[in-house]
Amino acid sequence: MFRALLTSASVLAFATAAHATEELNALIWCDHADPGLLEPFETANNAKVNVREYEGTGSALALLEQSRPGDWDVFVIDGIDVPRAIDLDLLAELPRDALPMDDIFPEVRMEELNGRDGKIYAVTEKFGYNTIAYNSSKVDPEDMKDASIVFSDKYAGRIAVYDYYLPVMGMVQMAKGGQTATMTETDVSAMQEDLFKLKDNATGVFGVVAAQTALATGEADIVVGGGEWLTAVLSEEQPELDWVIPDAGAVRWSQSIGVFKDSTKQDLALKFVQYILSPEGQARLATSSCYWAMPANAQAGNELTDAQKAALRWDEQAGYLANTQLYPAPDEDLDIAMQDAWAEMLQR
Amino acid sequence: MRALSWLYLAAAYGFIFLPVIVLVTFSFQDGRLPVPPFKGVTLRWYAEIFADDRLMSALLNSLVVALGSSLVAVTLGFLAAFALARYVLPGSAWMRGLIAAPLTVSYLVIGLGLLMLFNQIGLPRSLWTVGIGHVVINLPLCFAIIYASMGAQQDAAERAARDLGASTSQVLILVTAPMLAPSIFAAFFLSVTFSWDEFIIAFLLARFEVTLPVEIWNMLRSGLNPKTNAIGSVVFLISIALVIALEFTVFRRRK
Amino acid sequence: MHTTKTGWGLLAPALLWIVAFFTVPMALMVAVSLWSREKGKIVQTWDLGNYANFLEKSYFMQGLVNSLEITALVTIISVLLAYPLAWIIAEQVPARFRRLALILAILPFWTSYVVRSYSWLLVLGKGGIVNQTLLSIGLIAEPLEIASTRAATVIGFVHFFTMLLTLTIYANLVQLPPNYRRAAADLGASGLQTFRHVILPLTLPGIMVGAFLTFVLCIGDYITPQILGGNNELTLPQIIMLQIGRRADFPMASAIALILMSVVTVAYIACARWLRLERV
Repeated sequence: MFRALLTSASVLAFATAAHATEELNALIWCDHADPGLLEPFETANNAKVNVREYEGTGSALALLEQSRPGDWDVFVIDGIDVPRAIDLDLLAELPRDALPMDDIFPEVRMEELNGRDGKIYAVTEKFGYNTIAYNSSKVDPEDMKDASIVFSDKYAGRIAVYDYYLPVMGMVQMAKGGQTATMTETDVSAMQEDLFKLKDNATGVFGVVAAQTALATGEADIVVGGGEWLTAVLSEEQPELDWVIPDAGAVRWSQSIGVFKDSTKQDLALKFVQYILSPEGQARLATSSCYWAMPANAQAGNELTDAQKAALRWDEQAGYLANTQLYPAPDEDLDIAMQDAWAEMLQR
Repeated sequence: MRALSWLYLAAAYGFIFLPVIVLVTFSFQDGRLPVPPFKGVTLRWYAEIFADDRLMSALLNSLVVALGSSLVAVTLGFLAAFALARYVLPGSAWMRGLIAAPLTVSYLVIGLGLLMLFNQIGLPRSLWTVGIGHVVINLPLCFAIIYASMGAQQDAAERAARDLGASTSQVLILVTAPMLAPSIFAAFFLSVTFSWDEFIIAFLLARFEVTLPVEIWNMLRSGLNPKTNAIGSVVFLISIALVIALEFTVFRRRK
Repeated sequence: MHTTKTGWGLLAPALLWIVAFFTVPMALMVAVSLWSREKGKIVQTWDLGNYANFLEKSYFMQGLVNSLEITALVTIISVLLAYPLAWIIAEQVPARFRRLALILAILPFWTSYVVRSYSWLLVLGKGGIVNQTLLSIGLIAEPLEIASTRAATVIGFVHFFTMLLTLTIYANLVQLPPNYRRAAADLGASGLQTFRHVILPLTLPGIMVGAFLTFVLCIGDYITPQILGGNNELTLPQIIMLQIGRRADFPMASAIALILMSVVTVAYIACARWLRLERV
């Protein structure tokens, strides 16, 4: 048995040492882990992309704090948090002419977030919505257009709340007629009652897996904070699972991709970014196994099948983009207030 | 056996195996989600897991970490138990308490502490750091099991060996270890079991190379998948096979 | 004569490992719990701010209460379920099948903990086996909401710890000298009396060790409440992970972790009588 152990240990050591291919370390959201997305790039560039998934920009920044310069090359980051990353001097400037900026949907280009002083530090690669997802065979789709329906008793006990405070609280803000960009601590205190009401009506507050399972099994018929990213994957087998943007509007999320300033593989990292932003890369990213959502590059439409585009509601995007607002981007104090309000809601 | 006992036994086993039956059944689910209703039988998920490189390497990682860390834990525990049982050392009660201390601390706390330590000294996370954490949680267990089984019988045998001129290392390897084989084996087996399925320390202390529980957690990030049921069933079947193999080799021989 | 130097030499590796990778991290944790996270950086403030925060915000204390309630419930139920099972296997199952019976009782240990927890979610869901069975035999009219509640968390825990305790109590039972029982029988004691006055007191230390182990593992577990509880209430481990995940607030996480440790230490002191090392 000892010999076997020695053998496996040496195999492991040998395997890690024998990588003549160049390696790229990427800090990502789970949709970038799909081998279908990474393999074409790896084969074309004789590279290996090591990925580490993270949840929440806070934990990514903590991870970076604990890492040494050069440990990471590529960063997938919540669009709304790019300014924070720029402030922390984490990102490298990207050459504008190397990027398909013109092909990106104008509303999600967001250069004021992704860049500074005319320089680009990150590019939007994918976007979607946190809105109301529902089972159209169990609830009245017309009701779903009224955002306040989830606070009433009509669907009490059949609602699941997505466990992410930023978009859900943004949605509550909009349901009350406010703007996510101007949320204040007063707004947060004012919405505490609404959050409690929402929690009372809900069967639980779930992460992605449990929310998706709940909708699929009928534990819940409505997911507040859900969207195409939740239902598209299931749409083939369960076409009754749908989503809508209520009249009061919903919250738009986006993810950007950038290169770390301290990366020692700037060229390869840039190539990866270019691959992800290319029509083929975008199509694969849009339909990645972790979650589906709209690609930022409009040219990706040529690479997607009609069925995929229907699931993503390709043709209705213009209306959606107009009726949605970005996540709230709280400063540290507001962030703490929001997280406290959320935790209070969870403990109810 | 009395009827009531049979009933209780049946009920208890029913309860214990309920999630396993569901798990294995839905690993054959002919549908995107391993949720009721059961749609039909397919082996495609099993095919997919064996083709999944990340999953297979996570399996290998779990094995290496479990075996490696258990080996270290058993060795250190054995030496420490021998030292504290056979030698008069000042403050030995404190030593025993110190070595046993991690038993009372939750894995989450141990993992958190190690995470912060490695950050402070700049040691990057890897399977090695996971292994270090697993030794910390298994060493007290190994120590306790082996220490509890050290008795007068071995003492006499050891003394006899020394009288015949054996050095300490010879005594350890040729006398004590064989006599304590059952406990050593039990300690090793238990350590491997705990390390194999351990999640929180592996989650906090790994970087790119992950162990199986963490990889399953990652897989589940994107939603429930019959693939995870399939890998759960595979691991279960391998364990059963191992136990049966042990039953017919190690346990039978001792009869 | 055994030389003390050899003794130290043999002890040193284990001792060094524990000191380096347990004692030092714990000391570091105490230090970090006295720092704070401000403006995105960890500042060495050296104050009790995190602890004050814990006492102030009600959801922290609520988390502690939740953890204690759930753990107490789980421990009691698991012991009550495991003891009879261990007893039946040790006393009533024919000797040939004893080891098989025991192995069967703990076999599910080797399915992945994470996957098993999700399986419980399905079993307890509105469309799951439990509800379907209860509906079909007419006990209930509408599916019960079990999944994503405290009940589900408790069931998930009890499942795991019943297996664990069956193992530990069984190990204890088989070590009992049979003479005691024969003596009691000779003196005219009935089965029940023998159990109450002889077996139970003798196995109590073993039960206490198992119960303590259950307490420690249960109160520190993150996965089961996270998967089965539906975030309807939070336990301390979940709150700790929240601090790390969202804000990377290691100081606050450390403070809560130390509070968790103190609770376990209190439990240890309460059970110290039975928890001597030789009894493992």
